[in-house]
Amino acid sequence: METSMNWKKLLGLPLVFFALIVLAVGCSKKETEKAEDNPDDEDNTEAAAANAPAVAVDMANGATVTGKITFTGAKPTLNKIQMDAEPSCAAMHNNIPSQEVVINDNGTLRYVMVYVKDGLNGKSYKPIEQKENLDQKGCLYEPHVIGLVNSEELDISNDDKTTHNIHPQPKINREWNESQSSGDVKKKEFTQSEWPPIPVKCNIHPWMKMYIGVFNHPFFAVSGADGTFTIKGLPPGTYTIAAWQEKYGEQTQKVTVKSKEETKVDFNFKG
Amino acid sequence: MPEETRPDVGNESERDPITGSSLSFPYMISAVLLMASLGWALYDEYYATRPWKDYQHRFVAVYSSWLKKNLPKQDSAEKAVKNSDTYKKLQAALDAADKAAGPDFDRINKELALLATRKSVVDDWFQSRRGELGAKVYDMENAGSQSSHDSQAAAIQKFKDEILTKTVPLENGQGEEKLSYNYDQMEKEYNRLKDRKNDLLSQQAALLRPSSEARKRRDDYMADQLVGLTRQQMQGLIDKMDHFDFDIKQINVPEGNLVDRCESCHVGTREPVVLTRRDVGPLSKDGKSGVEDGSRAFTTHPNLELLKIHNPDRFGCSPCHGGNGRATSSVEKAHGKNEHWLYPMYSPANREAGCNQCHSSDLVVRLAPTLSGGKELFRWRGCMGCHRMEGFDAEPERLFNITQQIKALETDKADAFRNASRMEKQADSMSGNAAAKMNQTAQNMRVSMSRVDSRIEELDTESKNLLQELKKVGPSLKEVRMKLRKEWIPVWIENPQHFRPGAKMPTFRLEPDEVKAISAFIWQSGVQGPMDNATGGDPAHGKDLFETRGCMACHSMGEDADKVGGYFAANLTREGEKTNINYLVRWIHNPRQRTLPYSPTLHRDITPADYQAKNMPFVFDLDHTKSPVDGHEMQVEQQTIMPNLRLNMGEVRDIAAYLMTKKRPDAETAKIYKDASYMDDPKLKAQGLKLVRNYGCAGCHEIAGMEDESRIGTELTNEGSKPIERLDFALLTRDAEDGVEVLGPNKGKDVAPWYSQKGFFERKLAEPNLFDQGKTKTHLEQLKMPNFNLDKTDIRQLTTFLLGSVDPTMPPSFFYKPADQRHDIQEGWWIIKKYNCQGCHVVEIGQHSILMDLPKYQDPDWKEQLPPMITNEGARVSPDWLVRFLKNPSLAAGHGEAENDKDGVRSYLKVRMPTFYLSDNEVRKLVRFFAAVSYQPEPYIQAKVEPLTPAEQAMARALFTSKEAPCLKCHATGVPAHDAKATAPNFLLAKERLKPGWTDRWLLNPALISPGTSMPSGLFKREGDRWVFNGQTPPSFNGYTGDHAELLVRYMFTLTPDEQRRLVGAGGGGGTR
Repeated sequence: METSMNWKKLLGLPLVFFALIVLAVGCSKKETEKAEDNPDDEDNTEAAAANAPAVAVDMANGATVTGKITFTGAKPTLNKIQMDAEPSCAAMHNNIPSQEVVINDNGTLRYVMVYVKDGLNGKSYKPIEQKENLDQKGCLYEPHVIGLVNSEELDISNDDKTTHNIHPQPKINREWNESQSSGDVKKKEFTQSEWPPIPVKCNIHPWMKMYIGVFNHPFFAVSGADGTFTIKGLPPGTYTIAAWQEKYGEQTQKVTVKSKEETKVDFNFKG
Repeated sequence: MPEETRPDVGNESERDPITGSSLSFPYMISAVLLMASLGWALYDEYYATRPWKDYQHRFVAVYSSWLKKNLPKQDSAEKAVKNSDTYKKLQAALDAADKAAGPDFDRINKELALLATRKSVVDDWFQSRRGELGAKVYDMENAGSQSSHDSQAAAIQKFKDEILTKTVPLENGQGEEKLSYNYDQMEKEYNRLKDRKNDLLSQQAALLRPSSEARKRRDDYMADQLVGLTRQQMQGLIDKMDHFDFDIKQINVPEGNLVDRCESCHVGTREPVVLTRRDVGPLSKDGKSGVEDGSRAFTTHPNLELLKIHNPDRFGCSPCHGGNGRATSSVEKAHGKNEHWLYPMYSPANREAGCNQCHSSDLVVRLAPTLSGGKELFRWRGCMGCHRMEGFDAEPERLFNITQQIKALETDKADAFRNASRMEKQADSMSGNAAAKMNQTAQNMRVSMSRVDSRIEELDTESKNLLQELKKVGPSLKEVRMKLRKEWIPVWIENPQHFRPGAKMPTFRLEPDEVKAISAFIWQSGVQGPMDNATGGDPAHGKDLFETRGCMACHSMGEDADKVGGYFAANLTREGEKTNINYLVRWIHNPRQRTLPYSPTLHRDITPADYQAKNMPFVFDLDHTKSPVDGHEMQVEQQTIMPNLRLNMGEVRDIAAYLMTKKRPDAETAKIYKDASYMDDPKLKAQGLKLVRNYGCAGCHEIAGMEDESRIGTELTNEGSKPIERLDFALLTRDAEDGVEVLGPNKGKDVAPWYSQKGFFERKLAEPNLFDQGKTKTHLEQLKMPNFNLDKTDIRQLTTFLLGSVDPTMPPSFFYKPADQRHDIQEGWWIIKKYNCQGCHVVEIGQHSILMDLPKYQDPDWKEQLPPMITNEGARVSPDWLVRFLKNPSLAAGHGEAENDKDGVRSYLKVRMPTFYLSDNEVRKLVRFFAAVSYQPEPYIQAKVEPLTPAEQAMARALFTSKEAPCLKCHATGVPAHDAKATAPNFLLAKERLKPGWTDRWLLNPALISPGTSMPSGLFKREGDRWVFNGQTPPSFNGYTGDHAELLVRYMFTLTPDEQRRLVGAGGGGGTR
């Protein structure tokens, strides 16, 4: 008993001091978290634009837009294509005008890309036909302008007796440049819609040029040898229709189309 | 205790306050207090002062829930991969391989097991015997006498012949057998069993190879297809979180005296998944995570590539980020944001500052674009004209040192010769050996001085190099009289931004009188020289040339929205207002041409009279660099970066004529440029000199008589380490501490306190005289730093660089000072950036050149006209050839203007690779840079190219000229008509220029090396283990088993001009155009 009293006597006071010190320390104010400088590493909260599944086109109930591309004014003077460097092609045709502007016999314009520029509210549609063809014939591309739905198959064939290379120079899609010998067929696709159209050229025969427009819908057409075009299966609504020609640029018109009805939209390019 | 005191004890104890009165109550209070404070201490220790514990608990909760949420997702993704046909095929292949190996594998295993039972018995038996033998042999070798040696040898023989019997298990496991063997038989059996075991093991390994390869293929496929972790890996992480150790997570790097505890709170930094703030926000009541402040602590490191090359276990966190890595008691302290902590964590906007401590030798720090931008700006805007910064503009200092060294060596030499003569004289008065010795010493002294000569020669070469490398940020002011419209000078000096928005020259705050005096000084100190009359060019053609020769890779044209072209050099929209056309023609023809050479040893320009005095023709250029006066190296070039485009005089005149049309209407300019006859007043000149010196103009311009001026600003090498007290916030200190903005749209408003290095640098850069505010000073006493009109990005980049320019806190072993080829890359970047190589070329993968983004080059036909990508140049060309090409890109043999008016490789390009008059040093650095970037060994030894057999020669020729192979349609052939339309180099260059290995890879897949190239891919297809031409091959190829691409490479590397003519003659698509 006595010893324990002594122990207490010895340790009591220091312990009280210790307790007081602990108390004091404990009382010191807690550091509070402070906000950092403005972060510039904000997470990219925008989810990648949702790739909603493509909608099938209702051909039966859709509207049709049709029209003609006329040309007025002075005819352009076009460069002549000299194919002497490729005798097999020169034998088919030589010293022919470039396809920059192709005026049909009836005064209309060929190879004008007409497409729905606006009004589909970001929906994507499945292609109506499953593939398109691009031929290389007589050292020219046939056709000169092609429209594709994204991821639609494009078959490229070489009917010439020489090797070509196909070199699309897209801004969004992946670029490639492949040689293709006579008779070969290539299957290609462009996975992203891209506008303005992708220029395609053959580096071996530098006069060979064409354009491919890639859309996320099938509502486009290229004017033919009679200058007309037809877009089918369009859901009823109001749209901006655009016509694009490589030399003369783009024109637009606003139209409202109704189910199962045909709407006429004509364009005129001036030389 | 002593007897006597005993009786008193009872009485005394009654009076003793300790025993006499009860202290229970104070004791109880003390005990309670003690217990309470102990509890408090424990609480404080485990919870209150350890905020990281709370962080860890929160992290574990939030991360576990994230993992559990994502597990099914990864699980289904993994299942999807597992259900894919390819995976199933791979799995089937693995199963088949396992199955195929199975029976044999099992059989061998069994055999091995049985073998082991026999082997263990035989091994013991033989090894104990061998031990005994060893002991006997040792005894014999150490025998004292020949006789004892012989007798022991006999005993050994007897020991070995002795036949022992042992029962051992049979190898086939069926029973046992009795072996009666002598020692040699035993050893034989022992070795046989050992070999048998090895044989079986290697059989087993061979058996397993197909299945282990199949397993690897399957797992690789899974890793390629599955983004993120597998189910198993995720489960592993969940288990890790379930058994999480709540403790201080610490990185300790003794070498750097580094203890970083950052990961105690930033627990997720190195998790093998990507955790964004959205993923690891705090848990809400319903158990879902969401973004909230504080969650930032838990994200994974945002740049894993960076972390990969800077392993945190070696580099820690704080050397890059700053802050106090040891502190754990609060966020503020850990981040070093408490008062008096010297190195606060870098703010996110300037976090790349942390790279510079170790990367101060790099101009380009690959993963730190902001810092690299700051360094580039620092140089490009000429900050080092006034401020010394280690590593920047080092040439003048080095040149000075070399000049001193040469002087010292020459003195040494003279002294040595004098001493030698003296010794010889002494020797003459000596005799015999002593004389011989003395003569020998004198001779040695002379001979060693012959070595010094070569050292001096080397230093001379280096000083020539340095003089060639020395560039000024601004143009030489010696030439103004010849170059400029007199009245333009004061207009420009007053505020360069008025004349040319975005001008490189900063705005000085000059009084009108100062402008006048400086203009007068500059004008009157200008030199005069003859110039040819150079009018009569065709501006329309000049415009075309300006837009196609490559001028716009550096220069821009047009103002505001119409501005097109590069940033590197001046905007030329108003060039016609300021320049004399005769000078302009001389300049475009060769921008490096000087009117008078300058001698750094004599500190003056050398005049025609100096040459005449020595009867020497007045010729000075890079081949004639020695001064006629003292024979030392002179500055013979203008110190400009602008290269020589080797244009012919006709084209030069056209471009000059075009530039002279670039001006505002005369009616308007008449109002701008007023009479400036005061500029001829000699009194103003003296006044101007004082001002020019005061404002440090010579930092950026070459000015007559001021070539050796020193920098006027403070050194910035360690500016980021400058204690805050030494940055003069002047009267704005209070505003800085209280967080009152003094600049910009928020002026006067409350902002975060900016009493920090960052706050100072940012504001000083935005308004260099800001800290004069409210002070009473005379005009000349005011802060001199001019306004560089920097935008927000510029300021951020420069601030980052300045913050990072520190006195290192880490030991040198941490600095990025590689001794291998990476050092060549470091050095090369300084040259690449100096001459703006990236204006025309893609040097770094993913980089855009200025040219390729110009509107003109968006057209497919113009894309073919772009200069080559040189990301792989070191692998493509031979270094010897590259040296020649860089020295003279025309590759012409002579100096004639006509033969040099072309591009040596791509003569078909409109854009021209200019002559940069690089010093030998710079050429060497560039060539090494390209070699290092492409992992090419130094020195280069060309691989041998097997010569072609006549049959192969005929085959290759046939393929080259066939319709199927379009090579000669694009590649130049030397036939002018064809080459006019060519879009690729002549094959004749290949032999000296290219490396065969690269050429082969290029043929097979050019787009892999240079995306967008005109050269098509797919010319060859794989057939077995060789590449064959992808098309109809000529009949001679039938039966050829070699690699077609390789054949063509060998053909190219042995092509002669004669052979090429034969090709073209055979109609290989060549000369017929």
